[in-house]
Amino acid sequence: MSSGAAPPDGIVVRMRQITKIFPGTVAVNRVDLDIRAGEIHGVVGENGAGKSTLMRVLAGLYPDYTGDIEIGGQVVRLTNPRQARELGVALVHQELSLVPELTVADNIFLGREPYARIPGLISRSAAEAQARGLLRDIGIHLNPAAKVDRLSVAERQLVEIAKGVSLNPRVLILDEPTSSLTYQEIRELFRVIRGLAAKGTAIVYISHKLDEVFAVADRVTVLRDGHRVATAPIMEWTEAGLIQAMVGRDLSTLFPRSEVEVRDVRLEVRHLGRRGAFRHISFQVRGGEVVGLYGLIGSGRSEVAEAIYGLTPADEGEILVDGMSVLIRTPRDAISHGIAMTPEDRRLRGLVSMLSLRTNLSLRALRLLSRLGFVDQSRERAEVDRMIHALGIRTVSQTTEVANLSGGTQQKVVIGRWLMVPPKVLILDEPTRGIDVGAKAEVHAIIDGLAGDGLAVLLISSELPEILGMSDRILVMKNGTLGDEFSRREATEERIMAVAAGLTVAGKA
Amino acid sequence: MNEREVWSRAGAAGGGEEGEPGAAAVRRVSLATALRDYGIYFALVVLVIYFSLAVPQFRTTDNALLILLQVSTIGIIAIGMTFTILTAGIDLSVGSLLAVAGMFSGVFAQKDPTTLNVFLALALPIFIGLLGGMINGLVIAGAGVNPLIVTLGTLTAFRGFIVWYRVNPIYDLQPYYRIIGQGSIGPVPIPVIILLLMTVAAYIILNYTRYGRYVYVVGGNPEAARAAGINVPLMIFSVYVISGFCVGLSALIFTSRLMAAQAISGQDFNLQAIAAAVVGGASLFGGRGKITNTIVGALIMGVLFNGLVMLNVPAPIQQMIIGVIIIAAVWLDGILRQRRH
Ligand SMILES: Nc1ncnc2c1ncn2[C@@H]1O[C@H](COP(=O)(O)OP(=O)(O)OP(=O)(O)O)[C@@H](O)[C@H]1O
Ligand SMILES: [Mg+2]
Repeated sequence: MSSGAAPPDGIVVRMRQITKIFPGTVAVNRVDLDIRAGEIHGVVGENGAGKSTLMRVLAGLYPDYTGDIEIGGQVVRLTNPRQARELGVALVHQELSLVPELTVADNIFLGREPYARIPGLISRSAAEAQARGLLRDIGIHLNPAAKVDRLSVAERQLVEIAKGVSLNPRVLILDEPTSSLTYQEIRELFRVIRGLAAKGTAIVYISHKLDEVFAVADRVTVLRDGHRVATAPIMEWTEAGLIQAMVGRDLSTLFPRSEVEVRDVRLEVRHLGRRGAFRHISFQVRGGEVVGLYGLIGSGRSEVAEAIYGLTPADEGEILVDGMSVLIRTPRDAISHGIAMTPEDRRLRGLVSMLSLRTNLSLRALRLLSRLGFVDQSRERAEVDRMIHALGIRTVSQTTEVANLSGGTQQKVVIGRWLMVPPKVLILDEPTRGIDVGAKAEVHAIIDGLAGDGLAVLLISSELPEILGMSDRILVMKNGTLGDEFSRREATEERIMAVAAGLTVAGKA
Repeated sequence: MNEREVWSRAGAAGGGEEGEPGAAAVRRVSLATALRDYGIYFALVVLVIYFSLAVPQFRTTDNALLILLQVSTIGIIAIGMTFTILTAGIDLSVGSLLAVAGMFSGVFAQKDPTTLNVFLALALPIFIGLLGGMINGLVIAGAGVNPLIVTLGTLTAFRGFIVWYRVNPIYDLQPYYRIIGQGSIGPVPIPVIILLLMTVAAYIILNYTRYGRYVYVVGGNPEAARAAGINVPLMIFSVYVISGFCVGLSALIFTSRLMAAQAISGQDFNLQAIAAAVVGGASLFGGRGKITNTIVGALIMGVLFNGLVMLNVPAPIQQMIIGVIIIAAVWLDGILRQRRH
């Protein structure tokens, strides 16, 4: 490592002995980190390792850190986000932080709106024109005048990235930017950040998807339990080595799906449709089967799942559970027929952030954990404890507010809530988004086990390896219709991508 | 709760040389959380000590019981109010509903004490409270109209109704009716006992039942509650019924204590009840609040009123002081909460 040299060595950010303490946790513990101009610096580590916290310190969000920071050779004491932004640090948050009532353009230029001719007024048209140009450069096909609350999670993530890029920063920090993006958008994003890096921007790239890190990073830093474990050029890392450094032990990433005897059809949908979202969707999921549902952004895969679960009911077609036609208008209906679902937007539909971890985890199981309306608190504690251990949830106590957990830990809480009470049909929308490698394998093992118990599982994921690894059959959606279906044996990344992108109907007679 | 339970994984946050910052962090938690969780008790104790030193009459047992008696009416209403606030709602109609319930109670308490009349005098206010709560709840949960608007409407409508029904107060209530508001068991006034029972019941419901959990979850994130299969409209409806029940009970106590039923009763009870909950740290955005803190909030208000009167502070000045204290309490609560981040 070329530390100790004078500023012209290309180091734009030099952090020394950075420590950030939260009540009960040392989130970042004496971390040294150098970020060089023009490099793409991968940062990896388990959930709760301190990645986001370290970067939030650099973005001026935690004025009570200790340690020294130099930006562009200048020693600085970061006290607020505005100061960090003026020094050229832009952070794209892991958790979506857009204002839903505003448009894409408004969000991108929030706080620095272009002015109109009349003093004091801002120019909407100028903002939209600038946003349009920016989005085009980044290769994002979004209308700058669209309201953000109309956008999908993935689209919002793209807007966040555009916002970061628009700041024209010296250091652009991307905290899990691709967690809900699919292959195509990720490729586009890589093109953009490589372009920025070539022009001298330093990029910090936090991700749990190691293949992405290998594809894009020049150097990688590993954090574990708030400490920096190692920093080295990407050539010196192997995937196994990286995982070993992250979790402190060997771990196989791919969970082998066990052979399960397939049983009767548990979930069937016939000609399901919702105006403007999807149409003519028909498929079956048998007990013991994991059926993957894949599609690009806007293909309607999440919408289909939400219709089956009653979040936004379908307006035509039929849903059958165990061969019986059922009417599902609300999640309550779905649950009463034995259908459960982990929603994609966990902030909005999953977490109750000011309540405790325990309350959040046990929410679904409460019915089973109570007698005559009274919650059996000791059993509840025990069950929650079991889930905490099964998923490796990192928390100070069961009563910690969910808002104070790391991003990936929050995801685990929502997943855990639904795994505590196995239903007949389980719909998982992005079950491992933002979750670290160890827990991912654990979630896969749990899914496998549930299928083994005869559950029907519908798995939605933007990660092809996950879909390919876990699914017995794979359905591919495009433009709101079901494109094609592959058995486990037939499925390859190329074939699925071809159908999802709608290029050809690949390789099927 | 038990903040001390430390889970093994987090406990490993730095062995050996790093033990030190970890320990400091833990120490800091206890101070911050203690201030946040018990600051309001502290405030109450400070007030009581101050008035005790400033006015000798303040520290008599009789005065303590008087304060409790005065607090009981508002306290019971504030319990119901806490339920609505926990779901990110509010019930502005409590004062008007109290007048309606009290008036009908008075109508029958005035008549000959036949079994039926006694029964109606005692049960009708509760029933009317429940009915008023159901009206609020139906419109809010069923039609999805904002609770602030709905209860602002019923605040006016209930008051209009009862003034139209009977402007003149009823004073000549039958002597038996006195017992609820003025009687006592040993030295403890019956209203105080009712307040205590209601507090215990609400505490148990909110902390130990599934229903109580759902109240917090619905208030904290209604979308998540719906996605988890909770019947959100039913939950919303129910908290207004609870609020109505509390108002009915309070109306009975209030009318009996004054031995008078008046159409103008309870004019600013809604503000006092909201103030009790909010001073007690309940968040108007829902999902945050404790029943014990609401009661302490009500006690703080009661002690302030009583103490300021004893200090001969003129009524308008009292109002100004109390107004400032409400704002200061909420502001301080916000600061303490932020400190933790
Ligand atoms: N606001 C907060 N209050 C208290 N503790 C916090 C807060 N934010 C984070 N923490 C704790 O700090 C530690 C590090 O969290 P951080 O968000 O940096 O993890 P991360 O590496 O980004 O994890 P993930 O991969 O899950 O996003 C965790 O133990 C977390 O619980
Ligand atoms: Mg993070």
